[in-house]
Amino acid sequence: MNPLPANAGIPDHIARITVIAFHAFTQLVRMKVFYFLAFFALILIASNFFNLPQHEGPEAAGLDVLRAIKSWSLGAMTLFSVVLSIVSTALLLPKDVEDRTLYTILAKPVPRLDYLAGKLLGVLLLIFVSLAIMDALMTGILHIRTNMVLADQMGFAKANNWTPEEITLLKKDILDLGPSASLQAAVFAVFLKATIIASLALFISTFSTSTLFTTIIAFLIYFIGHFQASARDAFLSQQAGMSDSIFAKIVTLLVALVFPDFELFNVIDAVIQGAILPLAILGKLVLIAILYAVFYILASWLIFAKKEF
Amino acid sequence: MSEITPAVEIRHLVKDFKTSFKRQPLRAVDDVSIRIMPGEVYGLIGPNGSGKSTTMKALLGLVAPTLGQCAIFGKDSLKVDSRNEVGFLPENPYFYKHLSGKETLEFYGKLCGIRGAALKDRVTELLELVDLTGASHRRIGGYSKGMLQRIGLAQALIQQPRLVILDEPTAGVDPIGSREIRDLIFKLREQGITVFLCSHLLEQVQEVCDHVGIIFRGKMVKEGKLEDLIAIEDQTELILKDADPALIAEIEALVARDANAELISSGRPRTTLERLFLRETKIQDSMENLPK
Repeated sequence: MNPLPANAGIPDHIARITVIAFHAFTQLVRMKVFYFLAFFALILIASNFFNLPQHEGPEAAGLDVLRAIKSWSLGAMTLFSVVLSIVSTALLLPKDVEDRTLYTILAKPVPRLDYLAGKLLGVLLLIFVSLAIMDALMTGILHIRTNMVLADQMGFAKANNWTPEEITLLKKDILDLGPSASLQAAVFAVFLKATIIASLALFISTFSTSTLFTTIIAFLIYFIGHFQASARDAFLSQQAGMSDSIFAKIVTLLVALVFPDFELFNVIDAVIQGAILPLAILGKLVLIAILYAVFYILASWLIFAKKEF
Repeated sequence: MSEITPAVEIRHLVKDFKTSFKRQPLRAVDDVSIRIMPGEVYGLIGPNGSGKSTTMKALLGLVAPTLGQCAIFGKDSLKVDSRNEVGFLPENPYFYKHLSGKETLEFYGKLCGIRGAALKDRVTELLELVDLTGASHRRIGGYSKGMLQRIGLAQALIQQPRLVILDEPTAGVDPIGSREIRDLIFKLREQGITVFLCSHLLEQVQEVCDHVGIIFRGKMVKEGKLEDLIAIEDQTELILKDADPALIAEIEALVARDANAELISSGRPRTTLERLFLRETKIQDSMENLPK
């Protein structure tokens, strides 16, 4: 009996990674993780009724609601994507080991790097689809609400005999708070942040002894990552003449590798306030996310390749 | 004429495991060598914890040998391409519970690079082989122990490997399921597939294997052709059917007249409890299925 043709070459690695990724995605979907989207819908509806005490004039009425929709939605997206990326990644690897399904997979011609990359991509696919659904819901609600605010404000401006220039300016202010390309870029930045965290969780799970340990350490690193850059700069500024030394550079690099700098992702807050997210900044975030993901996958592979089952 | 490449070649395998509390590492496998030629059915027997599973895992590259080498059809076990020719059924396998039997086979098939119509045909063929066509759309989570073993065997065969490694293939399976798995092993042997199985169920090994190795405390204590190992050289067995008592008395008298021969035992041979169980359940099953 002749064996069926075996795969070899880069396209076949990609094919195998894709199989494992779609399988991990299906596994997570069948664990009913999409139920959280119902909670997101509730948060979105609640944000519609959010009213801060009005300090500004009637010409700004309704703008707070637009900010609230974006702020609550992006906050919920960040929370869900971070939780999903850590918990899903921390769960998948130990589960395969405990259930011995890993034996049957690695007993096939599957390189361990393909397995790791596939699992990570499966989690990222789940987060991407979740964010896309949440983004569509947010954009839809924001679009409707922006039109409502615009209609109210235009009526108010006309009733008070505003000049066409003033009306154009008001219209621009309102539309800036509505759906925009920058808002989509901010959602993508949330995805990039989740990519870094998921790859970090994958790395931890290769040497971790339990899912709980992986989850706790990943969350800890995530929170430290939000102030590591400030803490590092403050430390270096206190040490006169150290900031330029090789030692300081090595320490900075090591700290940055262990604790990714999540402060870079604070640009999302500016988008909520109606600011534009420049392409250069988005490009930088993409590059950083790719670098961290590649670094953590390779580090995971180094440990996983020597692991015995 | 070139020499035939062995299906399995384990040379002086040693495997030590680090222990947390003891300084001395635990030696699970100690200088084990096994050579299995294509088409053979080899049984590795030994008590629990004797190193059977570790030997198999080393052969599959799941653990790295401390010393020695393992090869499958001449390819180093630590290299991924050695696994193109091998199918593995681990002890007490658990597959992804969220997948159906059919999806499970498709998943493993795709991992082996099989796609499209070839995959569809192979999955259908294997589901028929392991008698799970009727349950192919049911989630694995609802499968019985025997069904899990059979779907496990099917996934091991998905890429038509020339070598199949089975770790305790009938552990925890009822006698009927156990018989079905044994029948499948016979089918593999008929197809010329090399089978390397380990078990502590000696009767089962004796029934299906043509070569055996006995491993104890990590060491290979006896190895060879089953027939040679279990044959009692100076004895002859004679089983008669519907023999008249007079005939038996005549044979006994003939034996008594011979100066060298000695009659050791005589009586009615017994069936095994397993055969009795299978026969009775089959009779009961056919009676219940009679048209009323």
